[in-house]
Amino acid sequence: MKLIPLPDLGPHPVTEFDYGGEQSRPPLVADDATWAAHVFNRTGAPGVLREWWYHRPTGGWYLFERDTAQDRFLRSIPVQDICYELPTDTSAV
Amino acid sequence: MPLRLLKFALRGTDAEPRFFPPEQPLADQYDIVIIGGGGHGLACAYYLAREHGVKRVAVLEQGYLGGGNTGRNTTIVRSNYLTPEGVQFYDQSLKLFQDLSEDLDLNLFYSTRGHFTLAHSDSALRTMRWRAEVNKHFGIDSELVDRQRIAKAVPEMDLDCGGDQPVLGALWHAPGAVARHDAVAWGYGRGAWQRGVEIHQKTRVTGIRVEGERVRGVQTNRGEIACDKLISMVAGFTPRITEMVGLQTPIEIFPLQACVTEPVKPFLNSIIVSGSLHVYVSQSSRGELVMGASVDPSVLHSTRSSFGFVEELADKLLDLFPLTGRLRVMRQWAGMSDMTPDFAPIMGTTPITGFYLDAGWGTWGFKATPISGKTMAWTAVNDQNHELIKPFRLSRFTDFDLVGERGAASVGH
Amino acid sequence: MSSRLTPQPFEWIERARPLRFTLEGEAIDALQGDCISSALWANGVRILGRSFKYHRPRGIFSLANHDINALFEYVDDTHLRGDVTPVPAGINLTACNTLGGLKQDRYRWLDQLSPALPVGFYYKVFHKPRWLFPFWERLLRHTAGLGQVRSSWRRRITPKWYEHCDLLVIGAGPAGMAAALTAAEAGADVILVDEHPHIGGSLDYQWTNDPGAEAPRATLKQGVTAHPRIRIMTATVAAGYYQDQWVPLAGPAGIAKTRSRALIVATGVIEQPAVFRNNDLPGVMLASAAQRLIARYAVKPCERAVLLVANAEGYRAALDLQAAGVELIAVVDLGEPAERGPLASKLAATGVEILAHHGLYAASGKDRLSAVSVAPLGADGSLDDTQERWLRCDGVILSVGWAPAAHLLYQAGATLGYSQTLEQFVPLELPPGIQAAGRVNGVFELQAQIEDGRRAARAALAELTAATDVASEIKTSGPASNHDLAQYRDPNAHSHPWPIVAHPKGKNFVDLDEDLQLEDLLQAAREGFDNIELLKRFSTVGMGPSQGKHANMNAIRVLAKVLGKAIDETGSTTARPFYHPLRLDDLAGRRFRVHQRSALHERHEQAGACFMEAGAWQRPEFYGKAEQREARVREEVAAVRGALGLIDVSTLGKIEVLGRDAARLLDAAYSMRMTRLKAGMTRYALMVDEAGVIIDDGIVGRLGEQQYYLTATSSHANATYRSLTRFALEWGLQVRLVNRTGQLSAMNLAGPNSRRLLAELIDIDLTDDAFPYLGLREATIGKIPARLMRVGFVGELGYEIHVPYHRGAELWDLLMRKGQPYGIRPFGVEAQRRLRMEKGHIIVGQDTDGLTTPFEVGMSWAVHLKKPFFVGQRSLQILKPGTARSLVGFELQPGHGWPEVAECHLVIVDGDIRGRVTSVAFSPARGRIIGMALVDSEVAGLGRTLPIRATDGVLVTATQVAMPFYDPDGLRQQADVQRQEVA
Repeated sequence: MKLIPLPDLGPHPVTEFDYGGEQSRPPLVADDATWAAHVFNRTGAPGVLREWWYHRPTGGWYLFERDTAQDRFLRSIPVQDICYELPTDTSAV
Repeated sequence: MPLRLLKFALRGTDAEPRFFPPEQPLADQYDIVIIGGGGHGLACAYYLAREHGVKRVAVLEQGYLGGGNTGRNTTIVRSNYLTPEGVQFYDQSLKLFQDLSEDLDLNLFYSTRGHFTLAHSDSALRTMRWRAEVNKHFGIDSELVDRQRIAKAVPEMDLDCGGDQPVLGALWHAPGAVARHDAVAWGYGRGAWQRGVEIHQKTRVTGIRVEGERVRGVQTNRGEIACDKLISMVAGFTPRITEMVGLQTPIEIFPLQACVTEPVKPFLNSIIVSGSLHVYVSQSSRGELVMGASVDPSVLHSTRSSFGFVEELADKLLDLFPLTGRLRVMRQWAGMSDMTPDFAPIMGTTPITGFYLDAGWGTWGFKATPISGKTMAWTAVNDQNHELIKPFRLSRFTDFDLVGERGAASVGH
Repeated sequence: MSSRLTPQPFEWIERARPLRFTLEGEAIDALQGDCISSALWANGVRILGRSFKYHRPRGIFSLANHDINALFEYVDDTHLRGDVTPVPAGINLTACNTLGGLKQDRYRWLDQLSPALPVGFYYKVFHKPRWLFPFWERLLRHTAGLGQVRSSWRRRITPKWYEHCDLLVIGAGPAGMAAALTAAEAGADVILVDEHPHIGGSLDYQWTNDPGAEAPRATLKQGVTAHPRIRIMTATVAAGYYQDQWVPLAGPAGIAKTRSRALIVATGVIEQPAVFRNNDLPGVMLASAAQRLIARYAVKPCERAVLLVANAEGYRAALDLQAAGVELIAVVDLGEPAERGPLASKLAATGVEILAHHGLYAASGKDRLSAVSVAPLGADGSLDDTQERWLRCDGVILSVGWAPAAHLLYQAGATLGYSQTLEQFVPLELPPGIQAAGRVNGVFELQAQIEDGRRAARAALAELTAATDVASEIKTSGPASNHDLAQYRDPNAHSHPWPIVAHPKGKNFVDLDEDLQLEDLLQAAREGFDNIELLKRFSTVGMGPSQGKHANMNAIRVLAKVLGKAIDETGSTTARPFYHPLRLDDLAGRRFRVHQRSALHERHEQAGACFMEAGAWQRPEFYGKAEQREARVREEVAAVRGALGLIDVSTLGKIEVLGRDAARLLDAAYSMRMTRLKAGMTRYALMVDEAGVIIDDGIVGRLGEQQYYLTATSSHANATYRSLTRFALEWGLQVRLVNRTGQLSAMNLAGPNSRRLLAELIDIDLTDDAFPYLGLREATIGKIPARLMRVGFVGELGYEIHVPYHRGAELWDLLMRKGQPYGIRPFGVEAQRRLRMEKGHIIVGQDTDGLTTPFEVGMSWAVHLKKPFFVGQRSLQILKPGTARSLVGFELQPGHGWPEVAECHLVIVDGDIRGRVTSVAFSPARGRIIGMALVDSEVAGLGRTLPIRATDGVLVTATQVAMPFYDPDGLRQQADVQRQEVA
């Protein structure tokens, strides 16, 4: 059974995880076609993907770079590297 | 006993013709090049030659004929889909399948067994009724049946499923069938070759030449070919091909696993599918139980097997068929499924002139083989999408005009 | 016991423990330790089975777990392989796949028909005319399959468990034992596994009479048995290799799923047959089979033997046979005896006739071998059949070559290549953590096998110690590890490159599982199936239960010859799991099912609930017997509308959202505004995905400035929690989420009397000003701390009460007891569905499908497109103008009964599908059947008709009406009205 190397907890069986798919940042300002491409299109070809994995026992999300041809987990990505600012809600209380 | 057998006995088999050509050189140019020598590619080549009289057609196959998902699926043919688009498309496919052995003069062991999709919950039952209603509207033999009907047809099944998730009813689809999957590819391949199509195995496409948004040719490990029309029919390899022309698609590749038991005397006539238990099973003409589940949960470009898959499958299968516990699983394997967000294929023209896509087959590609070949041939020749495949156009993902086939799944929870 | 020999030094049988079974009614005396085949052979039985296609008689061939033609069954089991299954005392066995028994199998005429049944014949016949195919199919199905499945069989529960070790060694022959011992002595924790019931491997059947084997045998066997760091698992098959060193070990007790840090494959080789006419007759067997018969079971394989050899092992076998008292008629060497080493000379000295550069042309005999013909090999390597000479014999022993049992190496991703020196595939490159040793690695001499085992162990340990997370107690001892995989490989071939002889009359079998003759493969290649995978698929070579263990190598040789290519260029077929087949019972193991139980489950049982499954939950559909369903549901609906009802809603997702950015998170995750929600208030919450499709709904409540509490639908609870957690990370928000779904019980107290009951029990003011509609309060009910939300899903004055799981039953009891005077009654999911439908509230997943947007179900009010951002907002902006479907309410004529309108019946206008019914039921409030339908907007319109194709295809005309169907102004859940009514 596949093992996934958690950054702090060591290898854990893949059955403890839910796959969250490819990580991608929505284009906050985009024309309709660009937006649609973000919603539906994916990096389909084999290669290194940044993906979300949810670890059920600890209730935590992890980001990994994985080689999708070899099924090799290459490294874990700090979430800070991918986070982005929400547009400010000026009208918020 | 058919006369043909007598002929074999008396005259031997030396005079039997070849199915496929021996290795031959690539020409410099073709009218239409098809990437992928699986069922879809060979069917398309066959119809291009037979129905459209296209003279110079080449099929390029990186491995051997039918070696991809054509030879890896669990051979089920049915048309009891949820959406009108899906139902009409697969109904045409099923009708072509019914005549195919005669058409291709090859016994495909097309065996009408009847197909049960089991419902284990109230919401699943509702979805089955939806499918049945849509199916009946289009004249498809499909109906919602109760436990008694299932018990009568499949007495070996434990309708209580070992105590959890009992079967509440099923969608019964009498025309559901199985066929010898490899033979479908061989029959189309032979028919295409007999009509002048060139078939090149061990020929891998390494690049595609596009000039001014028009296809001009393909590069292969055996040299470059010029062509104005190129059809990609490569299922799990689609993203590698679309990447060559810079085309983005929603397709992601997920492994789909299957396994087979040692052959036993026939006891299971129908095809049984349970979405809730993630099991489908039928018994092949050789006597093996051929079984599968849903796709693996994460993207992977590999045909590796996992042990967890067989464990899970065995556990759920025994809920339905406790009597099969003594049978032994002989072999497991996997294919690479090209999944789309709406569980419907992507077919037809693309923004690149002369580049046609037949992809996104997910776990349903085999049953679409004849009709895909036929409609893609028409589409390539006329450079416009055939009526039946219009709903499956790539641009639906730009227009937010998805096909509702996934609705079946979404309501199933 | 005619052919039982005197005691053999390493025999497996226990002579003091005789037992008896029957084969098709005939009593067979056996000994404990026998396999079925050895016992039968000892009793002079020569027909052990019938072949798959032609029903030819078959005997012992490999005695190595691939004698697929000797399959047995009895009332409680099938597909028992005679060559490995221990004799079953007292059982009456029959052979699989005969019609009328082994001897008189009425299908044996099929053998005469074989010229009419060439390879792939079934593809070319029976399909014209089409209507006749089902007839042929039924006929063919009678001959399909081997064993019989019995309907009386039930699931047998066998355990599965986990094992862990530093090093897993597969194969307890000389190389494997040496490897295990070396590693264990260096401090590694080792599992040594072998598929046979005893360790020793070839040492104990091939090297039995070799004095040089005595010392290593004693050292290795005692060493591994005694070593505290070696766990030995015998009769256990390493069934396959899976990612990250995951190897299921299938033994008599069940399957041990084993994770090792390193793996040594010392699985040896599989002896390969020679192909000549009638090479399948009982009496023809592999040399290793003969040696196993003698050494393990003390059974004389035959009386008069002819050997066909192409290696030194053949001469060793000849000497073993001689020692067992078998008369050697001739030893036929495909090559030069002088090159076979000292054993050949030793045999020659006994005066046995040795025919150099000869081969076997054909065997003959009725049901068992009686003679074999030999002929000299010509210069081109083919037999000169003009010089055919017949030799009388009852045994033909084949020792012409081997194929590596490299299945796990292939599965692990190793690269193998064909060695011209060894005429065998050998590993070229191994993936990390994997080693190969012994004959599978092309190492044949005994001492060399042992050295190769040690080398492999050292290489594996070096890799382990180099790994960063290594256990420090493992020392890399001994000489500097030489990692050269090929160091100990044999300089001589032990396999013949072409042990195959054509014959005009055929019956020279390449695949005994599938009854494939040489001509079949040649014919397949001629017809264009000249790629190894196509050849396999067309001819079915290697597709039988042994998965080609004795057939694939010769098939590759045949195809290479046809193509004029090297073996490497011809390729090999993929070795997929399993190495040997595994039972579904064993694969399934114990049956585990997850059940989630509400704290109130027992209360529901006591109240006579009829349950329905909702994911892993069991929920009361209604309270009462199944046949009373409709009446009970209507009573429950009436109770809620007229007095008081209580429903368990513990399955709802319940999530706390805390922290500075809690409001921002919810504002961006849901389509409605959440930042402006006042503390102490709740709001309906609709969640869409990035494509704008509805995926969940619930209630979001604000408890404080930085504290929110929300509910999600039962089936989406975990997904909602996961999504919110991920959004918080992606957006860099300071927020903490707690999924309390399983920690809290929840129930909805609904009905005009709800406030009056609650007021008696609660410590807060329930008046409308103090606790308004949509309010959220924390309070104590009885002594139970609770969180209350005043919601109106079912359309009456109501309170959703959330309490700790372990207090749930207490609260339920309290409400039910104190509620008696108010006419309280528990209600189930079905009543709730109807109540909410009267209010026009949707159920996500029932009234929506995989593409439904909020606009389509009339919920634009829940979508704030002007917010700076929420998930799916951009898509909804695009989708809004093109909304093509509408959720409409409809009703049928009062008194409408037949034909029944059911959920998912279609709306048909002018013959076209224009929508479907999503919800439908009788509404007591309206006194008629009402429903909702998701339809094309063009056919939607208040007062317009809605034609529905109901049961039996009958069109029923419904009328579109406004929703909600009941209390359209929502007065019932408003306090003022309530107060008046109560007053």
